[in-house]
Formats: sequence, C-alpha cells, structure tokens
Amino acid sequence: MVTALSHYLDSVRENLRLDHSVESEVIHELETHIEDELQELREAGLSEEEAANTCLTLLGSAKLLARQIYEAHSQGSWTQALLAAMPHMLFGLLFVVSWWRGIGWLLGMLVLVLSMAVYGWWRGKPAWLFPWLGYSLLPVVAAGLLLLYLPQGWSWVAIVIYLPLALWLVYSITVKTIKKDWLYTSLMLLPVPAIIGWFVAVEPVNQLPEHWLQSIEDFAPWIGLTFLALGLTVATFIRLRKRWLRVSVLVVSGLITLIMVAYYTEGRLSLPALLILVVVMLLLLLSPALVERTLRHTGQHSA
Amino acid sequence: MAQRRELIKGSIDSLLLCLIERQPMYGYWIIKELDRRSQGYFKFKEGTLYPALHRLEEAGLIRGEWQTLPSGRQRRYYHITGKGLSRLATERSQWQDFLVAMNLIIQPASERREVKKW
Repeated sequence: MVTALSHYLDSVRENLRLDHSVESEVIHELETHIEDELQELREAGLSEEEAANTCLTLLGSAKLLARQIYEAHSQGSWTQALLAAMPHMLFGLLFVVSWWRGIGWLLGMLVLVLSMAVYGWWRGKPAWLFPWLGYSLLPVVAAGLLLLYLPQGWSWVAIVIYLPLALWLVYSITVKTIKKDWLYTSLMLLPVPAIIGWFVAVEPVNQLPEHWLQSIEDFAPWIGLTFLALGLTVATFIRLRKRWLRVSVLVVSGLITLIMVAYYTEGRLSLPALLILVVVMLLLLLSPALVERTLRHTGQHSA
Repeated sequence: MAQRRELIKGSIDSLLLCLIERQPMYGYWIIKELDRRSQGYFKFKEGTLYPALHRLEEAGLIRGEWQTLPSGRQRRYYHITGKGLSRLATERSQWQDFLVAMNLIIQPASERREVKKW
C-alpha cells in the first residue's frame, strides 16, 4: 500500500485505543476499503499518487475517524460497570460496617482483589480490571512502607530487596496499562488521592498507633462514603462513550472526594494541604497521558 | 449544504438498516449503493459510515462477518439481525408518518386549495 495510506492507517490504529482484536479488525476493514477505492480511482485513469491523495481526502481526518470508532465501541455494559465499581464499593463497605478491624475480612478482601486482578489480566485486560488492579497494588506499597518501620538494622531488607522488586512490579504494570490506554491508568490510580487525603487528615502527629486506629474508627463512615462515591464514578466512567467526558468524570470525582475529606475532618486538612493534594491528584490522573505520549515517541524512534 | 448534512445525520441508521436488509453488504459497496440509489444525494464519507456501522453492530442491530471473495480478497459483510429488523420496522413506520405530516404542511398553498376544492 502507498506509504501515505499506511501512515494514515498507523495514525488510526494509534488513536483507536481499543482491544487488540477489535483494533486489528477495524484496520483490516479500512485496508480492504482503501484497496477498493484505489482500484476504482486507478480504473478511472488516475495515477498511483493521485489515487492515494484522493483516497486520503475521502477518508478525512484519521484522528476523527479513530475517535468516532472508539466511541462506537467504548461503552461498557451495566455488568462491566458493576464489576468495575465493586472494589471501591467493597473497600468502602469495609469502613462503613466496621469490617476493617477484622483480619478475616481484610484477608478475604485481599484474596478477592488479587484473584480478580489475575483473572482480568488473563482475560485480556477488560476495562473493569483496572480498579481491581489498583487495589491489588496497594498491599504491595503498604508492605514496603511497613518494612521501613522494622527494628533498626532490618530496614535494609526493605531498601535492598523489597522496594526495588515492588517498584519494578508497580512500574511494569503501570507501563503496560498506559500502553493499552492511559485513561485506564488513571482509573487504576483513582483511589490514591483519597487514600493520601485520609492518611494526611487522620494521622495524629506524635501519637501512638492506638490513637491513630481510634481516629480511623471515628471517621470510618466518612472514609467509607468517599470510596462508595468512587464506585459511582467508575460505574459512570464505564458507561460513558466520549473520552473527554471520561477524563472530566475522573477529575471531578477526584476533586469531590478531596473536598469530602476536608469537609468531614473539619479543619484537620488545612487549605494549603488541600491545594497540594489537588495538585497531586491532577498529576496522578493526568500525567499518564504525557507518559503515553513519551512512550509512543520512544517507540517510533526505536522502530 | 449544512441542512442536508443534518438531515442525513439523523437518518444514517435507517438508511444503513434498509440497505443491509435487502442483502448483506460491505462498507465500500454500501457507499456506492447509497450514492447510486439516491442519484447522488447521499454521499457518505468513510468517516461517517464506519463509526455508524460499528455503532449499529455494538447495539446488536447488525452483525459483521468476514468473507473471502473468489479473487482471494476479504470483505467484512454486514448482516441485519432480528433486533435490527424490528428496529427497522419501527423506523419505517415513523418515517411514513413523518413524510405524510411533512407533505401536508410543506406543499405550496395553491396546491392545498386545489386539494380542498377537489
């Protein structure tokens, strides 16, 4: 096929952001369409180059075509929306009904989250997987942080062995997710700003862990409510077709959850701290787009 | 021109379902057939056609299937489904009502008087 048309198809593929099998079908269908179009134009007496240029004009913008085809496929079913919302709902319920202090419930949740993440990854990474994936990485990060509190002399275990392994795991999963679609990385990271917000707001300075647990107990219903709100956000995200609406829903829900943290903790989160958290939230949710662009440029240069 | 585009935009699904109901067709063929049957009125661009076909397929109104032609080339033929047929029946009846109502309003006053006299 003429180079300009190959570039056109590459550009469509790059902007489709659909499952690999659907992407291949769409591109193959457009290829067959272009073959027919070129053949007819050549038979009408046009040169190869003229035929290719006319064909490109008829096809229109590659980005627009890719976006419209993406919107035709992007809407998930209600079942997928429910599956995607479930980890947030369960996490929220842990706090709302005070299950978070029961080790059995926590272990059950951990097993469920890991099983769903492995199952979804194995089933071709559908959109509902990513919230589960986000929660499945939390214990990895939390365990690393806890290792730092080991008695002196033992923290080298965390620094030398655990942290590099954990960072490598988080990094490779994040990069793979960004390569599929950066929005899924944002979906995966969605609870992080709320978790940091609650951590900052609830953590009492210079107090014993028991006091900290009591603080969590006091705010548990509100912590739960925040995560239930995230569940609703994710369900809405899955049902939306347009990318700009999906991005907006994530950012707005990030803002709302942080405002909820500030409101319910009644001044424990100062205004500067809230503003810093908003910036962190925006960075977390939107920076995957920049990383995706960098990865693509790197890929194009190395190809 | 913009008005025509808006009119076409609102009727894409009905037009595609009507064509595919007659026989399974692939994208390029649909564009040519619409152009031929409408005597050049409906000129679909690929950017309009393929998103619409994929939307109808996602909604379960049509089904795409790859077929290999005798020349060895592959084409993705779209077939209408049972759900598509019932949607088409509803849309046909809506269009008939719309056309009758439009004709009653849009025809020139002189013709309307003649109709009354008659």
